[in-house]
Amino acid sequence: MVKKVLRLPSGLKRLLFYLSVLGPGLITASADNDAPGIATYSMAGSKYGYRFLWIILFVTFGEVIVQEMAARMGAVTGKGAADLIRERFGVRITAFAMVCLLIGNLGTTLAQFAGVAASTELLGVTRYITVPLAALLVGFLVLRGSYDRVEKVLLLLCLASLSYVVTAFIVKPNWGEVARNTLLPTLLPDTEYILTALATIGTTITPWGIFYMQASVADKGVRMDEYPLTRADVMVGAAWGNVVSGFIIITTAATLFKVGIRVDTAEQAAQALAPLAGDYARYLFTIGMLGASLLAASVLPLATAYAVCEAFGWERGLNQKFEDAPIFYTIYLGFIIISVLVVLIPGLPLFRVMMLSQSLNAMLLPVLLVLIIKLVNDRRVMHSWANRSWQNVLAIILTVMISLVTLALFVLSFLGVA
Amino acid sequence: MLYVSQIQGRQAWDAWSQPVGYCVDILVSSLEEPFPPIAALVVRTPEGQQDFIPASEISFLYPAIVLTVPLEQHVAYQPTGDELWLVDRILDRQIVDTDGRRVVRVNDLQLARVGTRYCLTGVDVGTLGLLRRLGIERLGRGIGKLLGKPVKTRVIPWEDVAPLQDEPLRLKVSRDRIVQLPPADIAAILSSLDQHTSEALLQSLSNAELADALEESPSDVQIAILTQMEPERAADVLEEMGPDEAADVLADLPDETSAQLLELMEDDDAAEVRSLLAYPEDSAGGIMTTEFAHAPIGLTAQELLDYLRHSEDAQEDEAMYYVYLVDADHRLRGVISLRDLVMAPPDVDLSPWITSDPVSVFPLTKQEDVAYLMAKYDLLAMPVVEPETEELLGIVTVDDALDAVLPTAWKKRLPRFF
Repeated sequence: MVKKVLRLPSGLKRLLFYLSVLGPGLITASADNDAPGIATYSMAGSKYGYRFLWIILFVTFGEVIVQEMAARMGAVTGKGAADLIRERFGVRITAFAMVCLLIGNLGTTLAQFAGVAASTELLGVTRYITVPLAALLVGFLVLRGSYDRVEKVLLLLCLASLSYVVTAFIVKPNWGEVARNTLLPTLLPDTEYILTALATIGTTITPWGIFYMQASVADKGVRMDEYPLTRADVMVGAAWGNVVSGFIIITTAATLFKVGIRVDTAEQAAQALAPLAGDYARYLFTIGMLGASLLAASVLPLATAYAVCEAFGWERGLNQKFEDAPIFYTIYLGFIIISVLVVLIPGLPLFRVMMLSQSLNAMLLPVLLVLIIKLVNDRRVMHSWANRSWQNVLAIILTVMISLVTLALFVLSFLGVA
Repeated sequence: MLYVSQIQGRQAWDAWSQPVGYCVDILVSSLEEPFPPIAALVVRTPEGQQDFIPASEISFLYPAIVLTVPLEQHVAYQPTGDELWLVDRILDRQIVDTDGRRVVRVNDLQLARVGTRYCLTGVDVGTLGLLRRLGIERLGRGIGKLLGKPVKTRVIPWEDVAPLQDEPLRLKVSRDRIVQLPPADIAAILSSLDQHTSEALLQSLSNAELADALEESPSDVQIAILTQMEPERAADVLEEMGPDEAADVLADLPDETSAQLLELMEDDDAAEVRSLLAYPEDSAGGIMTTEFAHAPIGLTAQELLDYLRHSEDAQEDEAMYYVYLVDADHRLRGVISLRDLVMAPPDVDLSPWITSDPVSVFPLTKQEDVAYLMAKYDLLAMPVVEPETEELLGIVTVDDALDAVLPTAWKKRLPRFF
């Protein structure tokens, strides 16, 4: 496969190779801090202080386990997750999994446009202008194929979330408190706490992230002897994304929670950056959230359309004409249109919607996890790269934990505990 | 039409209705044939073992899988390694055309009984196949009808699929030139295949097998197939059919065609069919058969049984519930049920067991009236006599009489065997 035309110095070659493999892990991890992510962490930090940090640590491990399995399946089989699910489990289970994926991804896409609305209204521009504009921009860029260049700009905008890290050091939180809360779990038996916990899980370990990761690895044709690099990419990406998530919570806890502000709007959330940027905090917040929203809004509808068409064998891909891949384009455009219409409902509580979409994501996650675990243990699919038993133990514990939290939510709501 | 999804996962029963196990896969062999036959069923036995049931032991597959032998006599099929595992290797796989364009996944596989064996006839790639796998075929059809857009079946003939490469499955034709099989039984498949393919299939059927298939088919299909065949072959097939069925078919054909076919038929058979053609289709004469057991009156049980064994008409009698007794002028003089005939002592006068003045109808008696009389007198067959001469012309069997009384929709709901 490798053409030996150019002889690069081995060190440089290694670096180039690393850069070519690097990517999906970093992108999915950056997307942890997309609009619903920032909203969720801001709400969590402002309502519960540092008490959510241990959950961040927990989901970091969870994300590594899940994304590594997806990447490994992509490398071994060269196929997408939807492909494997369909071939292994048949039509019924595939249809069920796809419905779950559609619901979860539609909610998350909607949340991205809610992020556009929230961040631009912070600058005083009504969402009735910015949201349709953002939809046109995303649709145009992706369909025209000029998305690749724009992706880098958007990733750059996402770096604005680094300002949370800087701010945290400016406000000098009680690092002892931070460390204690990171390592010692706190559980509060109220539905709001559980909903927020689910949202934190659901915005980090996402159904679409699994599909995206596996598809990227499969597309790149990563071989098993190159796989350790992909695994490193997954781990570095997850660690990086979650460190930033942790700092969003630390910053909001040290600023807003301390003075009793409970975040429900972008206005309030942006104040967390005031110690760093003062009056310009809102601009900084807007840049970060807008960049993340547009990035995810470009990837999500596309990833969903790919997965569904893959499951049912329909023609897909942006290099196809509309007549050749009608369902692919219908899903893609349908996602954008529905999201825009919902976000434009007057008086929609944007932050609340963003967080709840991620709680929903987490509730749907176990369905997918069970299928992924079964697949990655199937030796006919994975040969000698099937899960080791310790990987299974961790994956199953994760699945059971998420299911239990979901169950706890329903039990508590049923009992009427506020 | 029979589909793999209707067989997969079903319980198989042996000849004594003992459970054999659940069908998990289907093996086809002789892949060089356009429609390769099923070689064996793979079943999972109650003990969790894998067992192979050879095609020769399969009595029928639908509505239940039933074997021709008791379990003790079952001899497991020995896979040669050249078989194609339909569920494992074909179902749910991606299909691409000659240009590598994705067509769709294998939603289901169509099987048909060709002669005495089951063959793989087509690949269902349509929405209806998906709905069937989901178990909501009927619901989907209903909704399609409501919307004025009936859900179409899309079946690609197996001939056009080349399962030689591992995957994806490759079609032998470009996507735009796919021949599609409409839904129907084996006879209908014949009528809809292109000339070359159906000729191949026709060659593999004997006249008797084809006659059986035609008798079970709706008249439009009968016509389509007979007109497609060489007239000589068509005449041979008509001879194999019951005279009543043959007359029905000929009545539906254009006059010139039916006259030509009658010319080509053997004189005896043609004469019988001609006499039936003279009567209206909904009269006793139109539905009666002239092949039935009759014998001279006055014989003992032993003599009568010997006579029947050598009588050509008796050989042709499909059911033989009764033996009709006639005098030298072929006038109906009595009837004896086969049961009484068998139970009677061999050498005594049969008079006590003979009903001497049996209920009979005229050729022009309405079909409904025949059915009514049969119900009233609890008869399984009704003799038809000439009004003036009292000559016995034929009999109407209960199934033919019932056709008139059963509403069409109801008939369709009865399980269909191939």
